[in-house]
Amino acid sequence: MGEPFRKEVVLKTSGLSKRFGTRWAARDLNLEVHRGDVFGFLGPNGAGKSTTIRMILTLLRPTAGSIEIFGKDLHKNRRSVLSRVCGIVEKPDFYLYLSAHKNLQILGSMTRRVPRDEIMEALDVVGLKSRAFEKVKTFSHGMKQRLGIAQALLTKPELIILDEPTSGLDPQGMKEVRELIRRLSSESEMTVFLSSHLLSEVELVATRMAVINRGELIVQGSVSELLEKETMGYSIQVSPLDAAINLIGKLPWIEILSAENSRIEVRVNPGHSSELNRLLVTNHIEVSSFYPHRTLEDFFLKITEGTSEI
Amino acid sequence: MNLLWFEMVKTFSRWRTYIGFGFIALVVILTEVVMKLSAGEIVYRMMKSLQKDFLIFGNILNGWFVTTFIMNSLHIHIPFLIALVAGDMVSGEATSGTVRLLLIRPPSRYNIIAAKYVTALFYTAGLVIFLGLMCILPGLALFGSGDLILHHYGKFGLVFIPEVEIPLRMLFAFMAAVWSMTVVASIAFLLSTLVENSIGPIIGTMVVVIVFLVIGNFPFDFFHSLKPYLFTTYMVFWQRFLDDPIPWQEIARSAAFLGLHSIGLFFIASVAYGRKDIKS
Repeated sequence: MGEPFRKEVVLKTSGLSKRFGTRWAARDLNLEVHRGDVFGFLGPNGAGKSTTIRMILTLLRPTAGSIEIFGKDLHKNRRSVLSRVCGIVEKPDFYLYLSAHKNLQILGSMTRRVPRDEIMEALDVVGLKSRAFEKVKTFSHGMKQRLGIAQALLTKPELIILDEPTSGLDPQGMKEVRELIRRLSSESEMTVFLSSHLLSEVELVATRMAVINRGELIVQGSVSELLEKETMGYSIQVSPLDAAINLIGKLPWIEILSAENSRIEVRVNPGHSSELNRLLVTNHIEVSSFYPHRTLEDFFLKITEGTSEI
Repeated sequence: MNLLWFEMVKTFSRWRTYIGFGFIALVVILTEVVMKLSAGEIVYRMMKSLQKDFLIFGNILNGWFVTTFIMNSLHIHIPFLIALVAGDMVSGEATSGTVRLLLIRPPSRYNIIAAKYVTALFYTAGLVIFLGLMCILPGLALFGSGDLILHHYGKFGLVFIPEVEIPLRMLFAFMAAVWSMTVVASIAFLLSTLVENSIGPIIGTMVVVIVFLVIGNFPFDFFHSLKPYLFTTYMVFWQRFLDDPIPWQEIARSAAFLGLHSIGLFFIASVAYGRKDIKS
């Protein structure tokens, strides 16, 4: 058997750290993003995600460590590297007194000459073609977010970095952005690096992920591998409640977190969820709802407690 | 060139940029109309003190005299109008959040900051030239032309400049005024790179200009000894083009002093901004 196929490393940080005064916003981060990845960069608010992204996009100078993009040192090859990278840091802000088209023309042309057709094409991809010549000050937050993605796409980057791309969007807007990210990765073969504080969001779009907390890397790997070993939380609506508690309370692979008003919150070891459902039904306990939930808080709690097998 | 063009587009697409032009148009036209309506009284007052020692004929309240009068009156207002735009050039991008889109592009921060600085200077020159045109054209239309008779504050005697020499001297004077104002633009620009709101650089620039002017005019020996080191001392060197004879050496010294200030301020601004962490 030959060596396993290894994808090209597009982004690599080594010992990347940033200190503000006495506080470390990021500390000794070693990230690896491969070509074609949708890389989820996960962490609670204030974990250091934006600081890391700002260092990768040269807005902040690292206190220590290095960043390599496309195999080149970012700071020594800033111009050539950044001509192949684009992104949005926090919310996308534009020149409100200019039209969407003019904004894209200005921002896009800083990387390469952008023909008018390509600007319209990028606006079309994000559904803003009909508003191309309207001033951005008339746009909603969701439209600005989509315009942000359009400006990132315009330069045809190989690596696109999106900081909380669905932040502040309504459910429909979140869905559209997620679909766009999937499309970019599959059709345009872009590598996408996206930060989020929502595990569910990363789970839906990312292929690999890293989790940071308090500026430090906690875990990094393939999303499916990291999450498949993870215990899952379930919320179950049952009747009668006491009988259900008596039945499942003694099982070794289940932990009851709370039980009130006919609802039980449980944590179940991997591979036991269908067994739990079957057990309840065959013992004549009425199950009116059974849905999984996995929160970032649960995930963090597990991995920071050191109880995870990851 | 692309960067410079885009900075121009951004700057001249904003209504804030035109406040200065609107203010100048309003104040200059108003002053000229009021001077025209009070022409008899102004000429009487001017002649009253001069007629004791001189025999004066012709149109002394002419367009050139009005231009010089307005230029002298507005030397504190123009810096404010310049700071309004130059003080917002960099900090405005931080306030609006667009700095995050701008600085992640391939051009270096030094190139971006240079394009912004040149745009600020272009605006400064535009504003002063506009002031000149607003003074001269309606001034000549309302008051006509003639020789220029001036009395420089603090100096003995009168200066007489024949009509034929005035246009060229005025051109040099306005070029010198542009040169002076680049220092004000450079101060506002430097402050703009250090903070993340526009109000600070605008107020800061005005504080520097006013404090330096006040220090330079205090009638005490200590402050008098500081005067040669204050840029505000040289800011009115445009007036020297209306002296007779023109003191070229003094003009060259003033221009060099102010030029070094502008270069130094821009150098500090570009180094500071090149190393700055963008947290906004």
